[in-house]
Amino acid sequence: MSGHSEPCAIVGVGQTHHKSRRHDVSYGGLVREAVFRALDDAQMTMADIDAVVIGKAPDLFEGVMKPELYLSDALGAVGKPMFRVHTAGSVGGTTAIVAASHVQARKHQRVLAVAFEKQSEGNAQFALGSGRGASLGAGGAFAPFIRAYIQRSGAPEHIGWKVAVKDRQNALKNPYAHLKIPDISIEKVKESPMMWEPLRYLESCPSSDGACAVVLTDEAGGNAAAADGRTPAWILGASSRSEPPSFPGRDPVRPAACVQAAWDVYKMAGITNPREQIDVAELYVPFSWHEAIWLEGHDIAAPGDGWKMIDADETALTGSFPVNPSGGVLSSNPIGASGLLRFAEAANQVRGAAGEHQVTDANVALAMAYGANSQYFSTWVVANSLNPFS
Amino acid sequence: MATTGTRGPSTDIAVVGWAQSPMIRRTELSETQLLLRVITDALEPLGLTRADIDFTCLGSCDYITGQAFSFVSNLDAIGAWPPKRDSHVEMDGAWALYEAWLRLQEGDIEIAVVTGSGRSSTGDPALIYPMEMDPFYLAPLGVDPLTFAALQARVLIGAGIADERSMAEVAARSRRDALTNPNAQVAGEFDVDELLAGEYVREPLRRHDLPPITDGAAAMVLATGDRARQLRDRPAYITGFDHRTEGHNPAYRDLTDSPSTRIAAAAADLGAGPVEVAELQAAFTHEELLLRHALGLGDDVVVNRSGGALASNPIMATGLARIGYAADHIFGGGHRALAHSTSGPCLQQNLICILEDESTGANS
Amino acid sequence: MTRFVENSITFPYKRSLGPVIGRFMNALTERRILGIRSGDRVIVPPLEWDPHTGAELPVDGMVEVGPNGTVESWTWVPDPSEQHPLDHPFAFALIRLDGASTPLLHAVDAASPHMISAGTRVAPRWRGNRVGRIDDIVAFVIGEAAEVEGTEATPERGADEPITMMDYNASITYRNPVPLVLDRLREASREERILGQRCPVCARVYAGGRGYCPIDAVELGEEHDVDLPHSGTITNFTIVTPVQYPGQTETEPFARVFVLLDGTDVVLPYQPVIELPVAEIKVGKRVAAAWAPPEDEFDEGGTMGGAYGHLIGWMPSGEPDIDDPDLVNRIF
Repeated sequence: MSGHSEPCAIVGVGQTHHKSRRHDVSYGGLVREAVFRALDDAQMTMADIDAVVIGKAPDLFEGVMKPELYLSDALGAVGKPMFRVHTAGSVGGTTAIVAASHVQARKHQRVLAVAFEKQSEGNAQFALGSGRGASLGAGGAFAPFIRAYIQRSGAPEHIGWKVAVKDRQNALKNPYAHLKIPDISIEKVKESPMMWEPLRYLESCPSSDGACAVVLTDEAGGNAAAADGRTPAWILGASSRSEPPSFPGRDPVRPAACVQAAWDVYKMAGITNPREQIDVAELYVPFSWHEAIWLEGHDIAAPGDGWKMIDADETALTGSFPVNPSGGVLSSNPIGASGLLRFAEAANQVRGAAGEHQVTDANVALAMAYGANSQYFSTWVVANSLNPFS
Repeated sequence: MATTGTRGPSTDIAVVGWAQSPMIRRTELSETQLLLRVITDALEPLGLTRADIDFTCLGSCDYITGQAFSFVSNLDAIGAWPPKRDSHVEMDGAWALYEAWLRLQEGDIEIAVVTGSGRSSTGDPALIYPMEMDPFYLAPLGVDPLTFAALQARVLIGAGIADERSMAEVAARSRRDALTNPNAQVAGEFDVDELLAGEYVREPLRRHDLPPITDGAAAMVLATGDRARQLRDRPAYITGFDHRTEGHNPAYRDLTDSPSTRIAAAAADLGAGPVEVAELQAAFTHEELLLRHALGLGDDVVVNRSGGALASNPIMATGLARIGYAADHIFGGGHRALAHSTSGPCLQQNLICILEDESTGANS
Repeated sequence: MTRFVENSITFPYKRSLGPVIGRFMNALTERRILGIRSGDRVIVPPLEWDPHTGAELPVDGMVEVGPNGTVESWTWVPDPSEQHPLDHPFAFALIRLDGASTPLLHAVDAASPHMISAGTRVAPRWRGNRVGRIDDIVAFVIGEAAEVEGTEATPERGADEPITMMDYNASITYRNPVPLVLDRLREASREERILGQRCPVCARVYAGGRGYCPIDAVELGEEHDVDLPHSGTITNFTIVTPVQYPGQTETEPFARVFVLLDGTDVVLPYQPVIELPVAEIKVGKRVAAAWAPPEDEFDEGGTMGGAYGHLIGWMPSGEPDIDDPDLVNRIF
């Protein structure tokens, strides 16, 4: 990573089963389900953790203000630092980056990053409008961006449908995924109701309850895991960038904050040819067309060419550049956790711990999340060694 | 270092300037406008512009604003074009400072700006704050901050750490000190006996034991190494910084103590030398007495010369302002200062920041 | 003079209780109070985890406590809030129920603060119709005799239909200042004018009355106001199929369009349309401002947050469409 910072490794990943309504667990119980899975994966207990970083989308979603207060004992954080991040939809990614910062700054050795949303407790659409009518919802806000992308790139309309099918097929291989649609097909997607023209129902993300947790350690901790046969995911670069909500000429199809965050990370990681040097990506795709948009935003495809990789099946699980092998946000969307899930799934890919949706020979993985009106971006690249390109 | 898993900072990082908005009962400005002004006010004396900022971290709270994603429009205040390295915490600006302090230690960037902002005037704290409590057992009863403060005050009185007179003395001293602070909202000379003749608001708390409701914002500029020394004489080096939390429900805690404050102070190496001043985020008079006790501060330490949170209490910026006042002490010739911030019922979460006139960092 | 507007937000939440809190709440409906064992301590009210270590606590360690107990600490509430369990002065107290290791925070309905002190014995006053919430106990009362408020009306439930959910409703009223620039825009709209503001540094023009330039981070005042044209071109749009949620006012698909004002760089986002069927909305469509009759009230919380007052939307101007492939990119 940057400067003279401490190398940081991911040695444990956990997530809940994501569902529309996790009525079987309490608010705290949901988060703990992910935390214990991550600790088990890291072969640690709560007592081994030095600090906790927690992220989630607006507190209004569940009506628990500053949930780091209520959850401090639930997360075993008593006597420890407990830090709360909130950067809109990118928050899960930023949570991972801030947790890594605790290690990279040599402040702590073992840090737990946790992100969650229990959307069923409230109503996200309602909370987005802060209780007022005519809320456009996220799809209503993003549909114009997608129309601009389609016209600009000349992409055919089936590209969105293909992504929707691919991610749902990937989700069938992910035991934790929310949407399981065994008979998903192009026909099924294109015949689903139009929600926010040009976005159809099956091109949109679900609303999920779920949580994700990641254990990060310093270089010694990463080396210890490796010596024990548990491959860690090393962070090669990480960045969060933001830009203002609106001003004349702002381009939400290729947001400068997205591009700049990618460049920050590539520079830290020593990546000069992302298409070749990165093996797999977990990109925040809540609406099908965002896959093409973010392939271009991260210079994996040239501007206007992202859809061609999709059309050629290159982003399929067995393609040359798999995107969202986990099924992505299109299959599970516990909003605050969705970003951390991307970062965690990328880590699992290079750890060889992705199970049935493991990509073959995944040595270097990219993860990104974004939030608000395509303004907040967080990005990291992880690898199964500190020097994968040497 | 007293705590396992904690190590010292790897880079010299200093507070080089800060500014605060007028601290008033009700502002006519939006939070974004408050931040626009206060960031400019923090940068200009240093000869910096927003283009010089490498990293920003803002601290604010949706529930105080009454709007989901309320912090997004605050991006308009930081000059995030071209896009900035940026983060936001749903915590007091003191924690935003903590994140920036961590980020600067990675060594690749030099200047950060952090803010805390809140307009508490917009809603009734008695109705908002129960929502930060246990959602099953406490929030449905509407248990408010005053209630928790009163319960802890009574416990402290029972334990001999506070009494109603010593609490009134804290109030009188704070409001008297606030007379010389132009940013104080409540200041004046008060007679302790007259204060004690007042009615209880929540027994054993009287009006003078409570903070005012304040709208306000603060912004702080951090710089690393040589850059800090170029920007000002006597940078206030952050030589210790830590925060800790406790269990949530005060009913499960020993309210006569503040263990998280003690652990954070040890991890921040408070004991490495004497401090001349301490700025404590004690919104209630008895909290100052408990914090002094937990931190082992003697009578030689000047506590809350600014008037503290009892003089102005811009929630989400109150803690950052404490660090600002402590930095002022270093800027003005002091050698070592302590600043404290807190969050949650009965001082659930506590942050300790040590500022010094000389760096003790490994790479100085 | 700055104007303030009030906005009440009522938040309806439904919480799942999980195994431990669920048992506790079900027991309340049966006028029983449960704690949970952690080592040799009994935690009341019960958590799924130990409050110090976070360790999972076994559900079969739940035990009955109280229902009577002893006040450990208290405070008097002379002026109850609308969220408090009682509407007359009462005490909040930490009550150690018999058999518990930790106190329960709840209300005590005492006639005056002189009636209560550390050591006072209290018993629960149960609600007649209990639903599985902490306020199934209305309050505790002084003495050893438990009470039921009103008539016992709690429905019998079989063991196979336990309470698993809890309603939580909070209503908060916020009072916010209206930026002066917004009021100027609204006033101008009475005269059928659309005001924008030009940044003196970068010359960008902003609509919507934000009062500052986000690029240069400078505030914009009355001296920066400029008049904007009343005609423009639709650059992009969104058509929303409404889903129902509390507070939703729309039932049919509705459109919001982006309008690039003629001869300017200004896009008005998410504008309502008038006399323009959803099917006829397209990029390049020419539109003109539509105004409400002067006697109409301002829309306080509309799509544009009331920024444009009497500007209620955009209607077709009848001019030919504009064919420009770059138009669609003008979202901002």
